Order: sequence, then structure tokens, then C-alpha cells
Amino acid sequence: MSAFYPTMGLEIHAELLTKSKVFCTCSAEFGGTPNSRCCPVCSGLPGTLPVLNQKAVEYIIKAGYVMNCDISRFTKWDRKNYFYPDLPKAYQISQMPRPVCLAGTVKINVKGEEKVIRINRIHLEEDAGKLVHDEVNRISLADYNRCGIPLIEIVTEPDFHSSDEVIAFLEKIKLLLQYAGICDCKMEQGSIRCDVNISIAPKGSTELGTRTELKNLNSLKAIARAIEVEIERQEEVIESGERVIQETRRFNDALGETTAMRSKEDAHDYRYFPDPDIPPIIFTEEELEAIKNSIPELPEQRVERYVNTLGLKKADADIIVGDKRVCDFFDEATKAYDNPKAIANYIVGELTRRINLGEVDMDALKFTGADFARLVELLQTDKVSQSNAKIILGELVENGGSPDKIADEQDLWIKEDNDLLAKVVDEIIANNPKPVEQYKSGDQKVFGFFMGQANKALKGAASPKAIQDYLRKKLSE
Amino acid sequence: MAVDMKTIEHLCSLSKLSYDEEGMEKVMGEMSSIIDLMDEIKSFDLAYDDTKDGNEIRFADTREDVPEESFPTEKLLANAENTDGCYVVPKVVE
Amino acid sequence: MDLTRAKIRDLRSALDEKKISAAELCGEYLKRIEEQDKNLLAYITVTKEKALSDAENAQKLIDAGKATALTGIPLAIKDNICTDGVKTTCSSRMLENFIPPYNATVIEKLNAEGYVLLGKASMDEFAMGGSTQTSAFAKTKNPYDLERVPGGSSGGSAAAVAASLAPAALGSDTGGSIRQPSSFCGVTGIKPTYGRVSRYGLVAFASSLDQIGPIANDAHDCAILLNSICGHDRHDATSARVQTPDFTEKLGQPIKGMKIALPKEFYSEAIDDCVKKAVMDAAHELEKQGAVLVDCSMPGLKYAIPAYYLIACAEAASNLSRFDGIKYGYRGEGRTFGELIIDSRNKGFGEEVKRRILLGNYALSSGYYDAYYKKALALKQEIIKEYSEIFEQCDVILTPTAPTPAYKIGAQDNDPVKMYTADICTVTVNIAGLPGISTTCGYTENGLPIGMSVIGKRFDEQTILQCANAFEQGFSPVAPKF
Repeated sequence: MSAFYPTMGLEIHAELLTKSKVFCTCSAEFGGTPNSRCCPVCSGLPGTLPVLNQKAVEYIIKAGYVMNCDISRFTKWDRKNYFYPDLPKAYQISQMPRPVCLAGTVKINVKGEEKVIRINRIHLEEDAGKLVHDEVNRISLADYNRCGIPLIEIVTEPDFHSSDEVIAFLEKIKLLLQYAGICDCKMEQGSIRCDVNISIAPKGSTELGTRTELKNLNSLKAIARAIEVEIERQEEVIESGERVIQETRRFNDALGETTAMRSKEDAHDYRYFPDPDIPPIIFTEEELEAIKNSIPELPEQRVERYVNTLGLKKADADIIVGDKRVCDFFDEATKAYDNPKAIANYIVGELTRRINLGEVDMDALKFTGADFARLVELLQTDKVSQSNAKIILGELVENGGSPDKIADEQDLWIKEDNDLLAKVVDEIIANNPKPVEQYKSGDQKVFGFFMGQANKALKGAASPKAIQDYLRKKLSE
Repeated sequence: MAVDMKTIEHLCSLSKLSYDEEGMEKVMGEMSSIIDLMDEIKSFDLAYDDTKDGNEIRFADTREDVPEESFPTEKLLANAENTDGCYVVPKVVE
Repeated sequence: MDLTRAKIRDLRSALDEKKISAAELCGEYLKRIEEQDKNLLAYITVTKEKALSDAENAQKLIDAGKATALTGIPLAIKDNICTDGVKTTCSSRMLENFIPPYNATVIEKLNAEGYVLLGKASMDEFAMGGSTQTSAFAKTKNPYDLERVPGGSSGGSAAAVAASLAPAALGSDTGGSIRQPSSFCGVTGIKPTYGRVSRYGLVAFASSLDQIGPIANDAHDCAILLNSICGHDRHDATSARVQTPDFTEKLGQPIKGMKIALPKEFYSEAIDDCVKKAVMDAAHELEKQGAVLVDCSMPGLKYAIPAYYLIACAEAASNLSRFDGIKYGYRGEGRTFGELIIDSRNKGFGEEVKRRILLGNYALSSGYYDAYYKKALALKQEIIKEYSEIFEQCDVILTPTAPTPAYKIGAQDNDPVKMYTADICTVTVNIAGLPGISTTCGYTENGLPIGMSVIGKRFDEQTILQCANAFEQGFSPVAPKF
């Protein structure tokens, strides 16, 4: 057991799902050939001016509401001044004394225990561009496509004491932002990024230790690992009688270590001041109310609705809601076929299994929720057998199409062929006099043996119910 | 002198400017007399209230989120040293 | 056609009545520029070919009966207003070869009318100065006395109009940069209310103070130009959502009963006696026309210079940070980004620009922000308050435009404090965002023009134009014997 107790706070940057950039009309889509999604404004040409995107403001207000923040009625923008070649204006438009959102709370659940994390503030700012380093020619190439993509920065209080808490919080934030339609939270594309402020102090101490800031954390896994590594490093520093220095450290995932970074501006004096190009904004109660009311159903509400209204098991509801794409797919499917329990069962049993195996990519699905619903319906109404249903699902995943058509093409229907049924079952009974005797003398267990034989021989030509009925009738004769 | 050499050096570093020794002396003299002039404001003692500037706009007056076509890359880069559609920056030392 | 001090409206009728073609008119001005600008140095760039082709296009509009107020009218544009495809240098080595790929909104508006661009007028580097002597390329001279400065920063624009090298021009005004050179050069210039004219495409000096405005031969021509360049712009969030009236509407209306305030601090011992006398004579002239003179006070004026320079330089330091040698402008040398940026700025910026950047960063840097920058913002609120108190009693305010007439070239060199304090009469108008117009109210014994400024309520350019125009009706301006 360590003698130290870690304390952490997070700074999370999330890119907003606006169509255009935050201060100009360039497309905010990810990617593009270098400097193709740029204009005089986001390239920082002399004389150009920023004009604030309303949707970006709407989204940060929504973010504030889903994190139970106070929304400022008066908010303004500031310039954060520093020189770096990915920042064409040499200042980032951000918010300092009057952010849009203040003082929120988010509940998390860690190993069955509920905990409240306090949000210090959420503010709106612009992203910087990208530098590609050419080591051979000792130059960097600057691409400003990402300049001006709207970001919210969520700053928490130092309320975390383990990496589990951090991960639980990030997963929760991810879901909240996704369900509210604010950010797609694709960590691998950088649309959500997290810096961790971390310090350790002797157990029982009321004072916090000197903190370091961890950057370059590209996945939840990396975050958890970086935290562990950094706690260990700080413990070693203190135990060797030295002091932790306040600095920014970069996590190197491959080496599993954190290293100190040189700061961007030597003095770190950002000279924040109100941006004279962007007037402050005032909100009316009606405007805020309208934005609040436009927030879509959030994860907790969905779980509640699935359990209370649709009658799903809590565990199934949690699994479905745990991935917004699956959840939306479920909602789409239930619209096409009103049997939520059956659909949920098939999603949890079949679809999520394939997602976890990497067979299904929810971002590139070849079939719709309605197609999936139809498959479940065919199964439920004895039109296809369990095993053939799996074949159809496999085909949907591979190539898409309609379940009916696939069943037609691959001859997967239950045919309700009564003549064949009679012929096959009569043969089985005739060939198995001993089990017949057993059944007739009251041994019900052998019925399963007959069902198995019949199913195998009929290959889906008759529904399980028809087989069952005919068998019982014949065996009772 | 209202400002010392250390302050001027700090200001130069914030401003990304530099002077030779002689230039530093000269600029320190100039900045000192300028800052003496600025110091007159110190006798004014009203506080600033940032909510009372009266220049705010309504939320409804912000820009609608409608993307428009971007600018031709070559045109943006025409005043810059460039290659492969990017601005060329000498190595950034971190 | 005699173009000496020709008015836009006279040129308009000459063009409409086909007494002269747009190309001929443009040619006459180009000829004058070619003959005389080598002595005056009002222009940095003369766009001869573009001007002639602009004129051809304008003539087509005129012939088709589609002419508007400025169709075929040649204008000079201050060299800090971006013109697509035409070098825009801000009089700085930094932007010596900068060709903007886009037009300022005011240029788009003028283009839509079919104006003719004669060229880009010189100015103080990045509009920082009051003499046009900080220009890296064309240190413009005063047409009334070539040994004197034309004022600044829009000195090229004002001198061009005064010497009839353009019938009118656009300038920009951050702390007096339209009004003071208009006064030194004996022409009329108006700084509109902050937000009246879009700043999009104006290379920023101090964003909360900058405003583009016309410089012309009289208030009437200013009104005509203003009609064309005003209006809300979706590219400038600080441009106001207010109706643009017809600024010529109140011209010629009697000023009987107009209350004119004379704040005593603007008539202190810091102002030359000859200037005070000329402005007071003008005040009495207006009184004769029925205006009522009202004594009043503006105690905040004594803090105006530091407040202005702290706000302006803080914003400038940030605005000019983008000049790093990478995206445009002078590219210095250096093995690293850090070296290149310092070399670019060292060699690209002139001394006055550097001083203001240093001062701005001083005002904003940690430990000084509250004592300087924030104090300046508090003072801004106080000055706004003092102005609005005066405007509760009065319609306009009358002040000198500058403490002195045009001074000798070199007189303020190496004395930034003297240079800064000379802005005392004009900076509060920018701090408060008000409209102000300067027109000539007299001449010194040596024949140098003296200007007076009429300051109005926010968005009430009409009344100051009316007042200036009323004075001009009884005043005979003297053109320079240049």
C-alpha cells in the first residue's frame, strides 16, 4: 500500500458538431486536403474579423445544462496571446473571466458506488491548426483546416482520486455529449481530448501536493496508464527526497513513461484581454429555456424509459444505452416492429456480440434498424428458424439487403410442408420403437430426442410448433 | 526610470522583438518616459465594470451555422512560402 | 475641366451630362498624380491600369443610365484597406509585397457602385502616428507647405484631396487619424460612429477604436461618400444593426437653436492661441446663424491620453502578433521558428510600431493588467458617461481638431511623448465611439489651415454634417498653391 493519496482534475476539450467553424463559414468537417477548408478569416489574414457561430453557443449551453451548470446571462470572449505556428492570429479566441457555464455537477458510478464530480467551468474556444514535422528538411508544414473548429473546454474540480474515477467520468461525459448531440467524442480522431492535472500528498494530509499536467493522452487506456505511471513517478520523486516540479508532461504510450515538455511561451504570460472584435452576448430566459427544452433524451432517461415503459431488463437497457449508435439503432428497430423485448434480446445476444468481435462496425452499417426488426419479427413468428436467422444476420452484416429477400434467395423459410412433416415424423416413430415405448409409459424426457431428430431431418421445412403438435398427436395414438 | 532593463527584456520576449545593446538603452529611455505619461492614469480611481460597456449583442444576432465554400488554397498561400498546400515553417523547437 | 478642389457632386453631373467621360476624368487625375505626386508623396501605389479599366466599366454603367452617386468617381484609398489583387502595405516594410486575396467590405460597396481606384494613399506605419512620417515608403508632405507634415495617420489621403490628386479619399481613424490630417491639410474628414462602417478588411490597429471614414473637400461630399460605405456587415460583428439614413438629408437645414457645447478643457493652454481663436471665431459665426453656445466641462480629458494609448496599444500588440513572417509579409531569416519570427519582426516593423507593441504588452502583462489596461477601460466608461451628460444638454460639441497647425517635418522625431500628447483633442471621440467631423475654420498668418471638430451623439452623423456644412456655407477655403 502506498503512503500517498493522489488527487486529479481534468481539462477536457470536445469538438462541437457544428456544420461551420466557430468564427467563419468554412466547413467544420474532419479531414480534407491541407488548407482546403480555410478562408481569409481562419487563416488569420490581416483585416479579417471573427463572427460567432450561434450553434456553437447553443451547444455549449446544452453542455452546461447536461452537466447541471449555471449558465451565465452575460458572456464574453477573450484573446489568449501566444506565438506558435499552428495559431495563425497568434492568439486563440477563448473565454477567461466570463465563461458560458459555471459550477456544475456530474454523477458517476464507480464499482457500484455513486460519486459526484464538480465542474468548475465550461468555456467556448477555437481549435488550432496542425503541424507536420519534416525531420529531414528540418521544417514543419502548417495546415489550418482545423483552425477555428469550435471546442468546449470542460474544467473539473480536483475531485478524482483514482484512474477508475477518471475513466468512469470520461465515459459518462462521452455519453452525455453524444446523446445531447454536442460532440461525437471520437477520441481516435481527436474530437475529444483530455489533459489530467495530477498531484499526490501523504495520506491524511489536507493540503494538495504540487501538480503536473499530463498531455498527449489519446485513449481511455492511455489515460489510465499515464495516471498510474505518473503517480508512481511522483512517489519516487518524493521518496528520494526531491520535490515535484509544476510542469507539463507528455505521456509516451509506447515507452510507458511521462516526460517533461518545454512550454510554448517561455514566460506563460498569455495576456488575456477581452476580444474587441466579438461583442459580449446576453441571453434572455426564453432563449435559454428554448435551448434547454431542445436537449434530446439523455442516457439516464433512456434507461428509465426502456425499463419502465418498454419492460426491458435493467442490464439489457444499460448495454444498449452504453453505445449511442446501438441505442439509436434499437429505437429505429422498435419503430418498425413493436416488440422491444424481442429486439433487445436479439441486440444484446447477437448484435453486440458481433460488435465486440469486430465483425460489425456501427459506423458503417449496411442494414437499417428496420431490417433488423424484420429479422426479429420473422424469428418471433416462426417464419425462420434460429439457425437460419443467424445466417440472415450474417448476410445483412456482410452485404446488407432485406431479410425476406435473403431468405428467398437462400431458401431459408420455414415451409410448413405438412406432407413432408408427416412423412418424416412417421418414419422417425417407426424407426425408434424403444423411445416410443418409453414415452408412452410416461417418460416425457424422450420427447426432446424426437424434436431433435425431426428438426435435423426437416431442416427448417416446418416450424418448431408444427413439429411439436404433430409429434404429440402421433405419440399419443 | 519607470522601467528597468529586465522589464524591457521581458517585454521584448513577449513581443518577439530584439534590440542590440545600444538599442536596448534607447528603448528603455523611451519606454520610461512613455510609461511616466501612462502613469497619470493611476490617480484615476473608479473601478471597471465589464457588464456596463453597453456593447453586447443579443444571442439571436449571432451568425447562423451555415457553411459556405472555403477559399482556393493557392490564393490563401500566395503570400507565403509554401509546399504541398502547406505553409513552410522552420523547425519548431520544443 | 478644372479639377482644383472639384466636388464629387460636380463631377457626378459632369459625368452624367457627358461633359467628360469617366476615362477622361480618371486620366486627368492620373496626369496630375504623375506630375505632382513626386513632390507630395501622397500615394504609395498608383493603380493606373486598373483605374482606366475601372473607368471603362463605369462608363458603361453611366451610358446604360445605371449610374449611382460614385459611378466613375475616382478615389484614393488609404493603404490599410484591403484591395483584392492590389498591394496593401500599411506603409510597412512588413507588408511591402502583400497582395490581399480579398476586398474590404467598403471596397466591395464602392465596387458595386463602379468607383474608380486611383491608388493607395500613404499613411503612418500601421496607422500609428500623426505625421505620415513613420511610413516606410512615402513620407507625405503638406501641400500648403512642403516642409511641413500633412498630419496622420491618413496623411496621404488628406494631402491627395487637398492637392486635388483625388476628389475624395477613404481614411481610417483610431485616435484622430482622419480628422487631424484633414485639419492640417485644410479639407473635411469625418470619423463615423463606431459600428457605422464595417471594419472587415481594414488592417486592424486598435479594433475597439478603428473606424473607416471619408476625407473630401467639404461636408456634403463626406455625406455622399458616407452614404455608400455604411451599413451592417455580416462579416463584422461590431458593425451596428442600425438603419443608414441619407446623410445629405439635413444639409442646408438652418441650425437655429442648435445647442453647441464648448468643454473648457479643450481650450486649455495646451492649445495654440491661433487655433483657439480660429475655433472660437467659428463658434461665434455659428452663433450668428442661430446656434446657442453652451459652456461645459469634461474633467476626464486629463486622463484621455494614457487611457487611449493603453487601450490602443494593448489591442495593437495583439493585432500585430500575426505578423510572424510565415503566412504573409516580410520573412526574415532563422533556423528555427523562434529565430525567424524575431528576425521578421525586427526588420519588418518600424521603431514607432515596435514601441507601441512593447507598451501594449506592458499594459497587458501579468502584474500590470489591473493598474493599466483595466484602469483604461474604467476610464473609457467614465468618458462615455461625461459625453452623455453633455449630450443631455447639447446637440453637438465643438473643439479644436489639433493643438497646433501642421508642424515642421522632424519636429516631433524621437519624442514619442510629445507625439502622443498632440492627440489630446481627438482621442476621446474614439474612446467613446462617437462621430466627429473636422472642417477648416481658418488659416494661420502663414496660410496654414486650422481645423475644428464637431462631435455628435452616437449614430447622429446627420447633425454634425449639418453643423459643419452650415459653417462651410459662409467660409471660403483657400486651395494650396501647390
